[in-house]
Amino acid sequence: MLAVKNLSRSFGDIKAVQNISFTADKGEIVGFLGPNGAGKTTTLRMMVGYLQPDSGTIELDGENVFDNPLAASARIGYLPELNPLYNEMTVEEFLRFIAALRKMKEPYLSERLEFVRDNCGLDEVWKQKIGTLSKGYRQRTGLAQAIIHNPDLLILDEPTSGLDPNQILEIRELIRELGENKTVILSSHIMQEVQALCSRVIIIHKGQIIVDDSIENLSSYISETTQIVLELEAENPDFQPWLEQYPQVQLTDIEPKDDHLALRFTIPIEMDLRKELSAFVSEQGWYLISMYRETQSLEEIFHLLTSEEPFYTEEEEKEEEEEVIEGEEISSEEVNESEAEPEEETISLKETEEKAQEESSTKEQK
Amino acid sequence: MNPALTIANKEYSLANRSLSTYIIYGVYLLVCGIWFALNALKIGAADMRGIFGVMHTLFLFFIPALTMGSIAKERSTGTLELISTLPIKLSHIVWGKFLGVLFQLVTVLLFTLVFVLLISLFGIGVDYGAIFTGYLGLLFAGAAFIAIGMFASSLTDNQVLAFIIAFAISGALFIIGRIGNLIPLKLFATIEYFGFDYHLESFLKGVIDSRDLIWFAAVTIIFILLAQFRLQAQNLSQER
Repeated sequence: MLAVKNLSRSFGDIKAVQNISFTADKGEIVGFLGPNGAGKTTTLRMMVGYLQPDSGTIELDGENVFDNPLAASARIGYLPELNPLYNEMTVEEFLRFIAALRKMKEPYLSERLEFVRDNCGLDEVWKQKIGTLSKGYRQRTGLAQAIIHNPDLLILDEPTSGLDPNQILEIRELIRELGENKTVILSSHIMQEVQALCSRVIIIHKGQIIVDDSIENLSSYISETTQIVLELEAENPDFQPWLEQYPQVQLTDIEPKDDHLALRFTIPIEMDLRKELSAFVSEQGWYLISMYRETQSLEEIFHLLTSEEPFYTEEEEKEEEEEVIEGEEISSEEVNESEAEPEEETISLKETEEKAQEESSTKEQK
Repeated sequence: MNPALTIANKEYSLANRSLSTYIIYGVYLLVCGIWFALNALKIGAADMRGIFGVMHTLFLFFIPALTMGSIAKERSTGTLELISTLPIKLSHIVWGKFLGVLFQLVTVLLFTLVFVLLISLFGIGVDYGAIFTGYLGLLFAGAAFIAIGMFASSLTDNQVLAFIIAFAISGALFIIGRIGNLIPLKLFATIEYFGFDYHLESFLKGVIDSRDLIWFAAVTIIFILLAQFRLQAQNLSQER
């Protein structure tokens, strides 16, 4: 539904956003993650037409947003950063004002006002001045303003910043409901938020997208292996016969824990051998106490991907480009073999994967 | 409703809820009233020219005070971003805000009708035609002042600075007509045309000259467009 292509924007010498491309479909909640100053707000502002890009296009259902900005903004709901509102107005007046500027007419207007009043929990403060509202209610009012015209695309810039934990949960729940039949793009610098809400995450750093993938796949960007930790009760368990079946797997650690043992297996990321392991354990008559796959938390990944400075040296960038080309070739072959995945997506995944591996290898070198 | 009118309506009703608006109104009317009480009644002339001159002069402070926040405040609070991303044009925002302040000016001018009432009660041979054209002139001149103030407000997000810039620009246009004895007469004849006084003069005499109407309308439109360009130049959006 939304397609952003090669978007760039500079402020003077500062390249706020460089060559960003991504797509988002209906029913998807996309998390836009990055440290402060990464270019999140600039990108979102360009999407709503508040800022003009230096180059690149933003397409809504194939139509360039800048060809007909008024028609495009009628389909977009936007909650700006810091949620600016008119403090002197009551909630109802404010929403009616926004609705009037969006040319909403009765009886649709009343219907939508009722919808946002019930769904954003604004009933109690409906006639209250916005300036006297708590931060949670302010945020809900901002959200109500963004969804009053039932937009196809909802863009939320740090929707839960400054709220207390209970308010955050409420707002998240609301966003989740809204995300079922809209495209939601939400920016955040808080990991848990993205982890809790989004089906997909785009990590942006220094104006560039460094990761664009589903939450589950994120851990694969750091290491090529994952760990399976097995806790079992057995005396001198011998895994040798099992390990012989899987030469890629290594038993990296055995340590006694209370009255049992904790074993750590290192296996390639694409393999999940938990079933085979547990079958082997029960064959041997050992007692399996617990088994889990250890993945890196999103927080760690984010930190690893964004903490280094400078992100690329020039040489690395050149290497990177070469590798991307290789990556594309490989991925297009893969596409030919299995046509399950759309080509474009595969390429972008490969590209970012390459970047992430590059990143982790440079980290290791240091 | 036209989006510009929706915005004008919002501007006007929000202004009416603000204490500072009433203070500005009050000070303006008070100074006009004091002048009127001290002069008009003493002379006993059934003439509004004097008070119109004072009302016009006070525009220098009064109108920048009304306009200083119109764009600057919305920018500093971020609500400008909010309304700029709605499906309306930038011109709707700027003209809407202009109309909102114009309504405020009309409101205050309505209060000054008290002076007309007093003159009609106590004066002899009141020229109502001249009073009507005088008000019309003040309205046109006021519109030009408002446009200048809005342009100043679009330049900065600091309201005090917006006030000073508006005062400086409108002050320059105001003072031109009063520096006749400071510069060569030939030069004055040329630049006099750019002063507000020169164009207001015939209105006060009871004459509506289309050239004066055009002059005030042109100043208004030019500065409103400048304000709009200023917002556009900040890349608020494209072609809105």
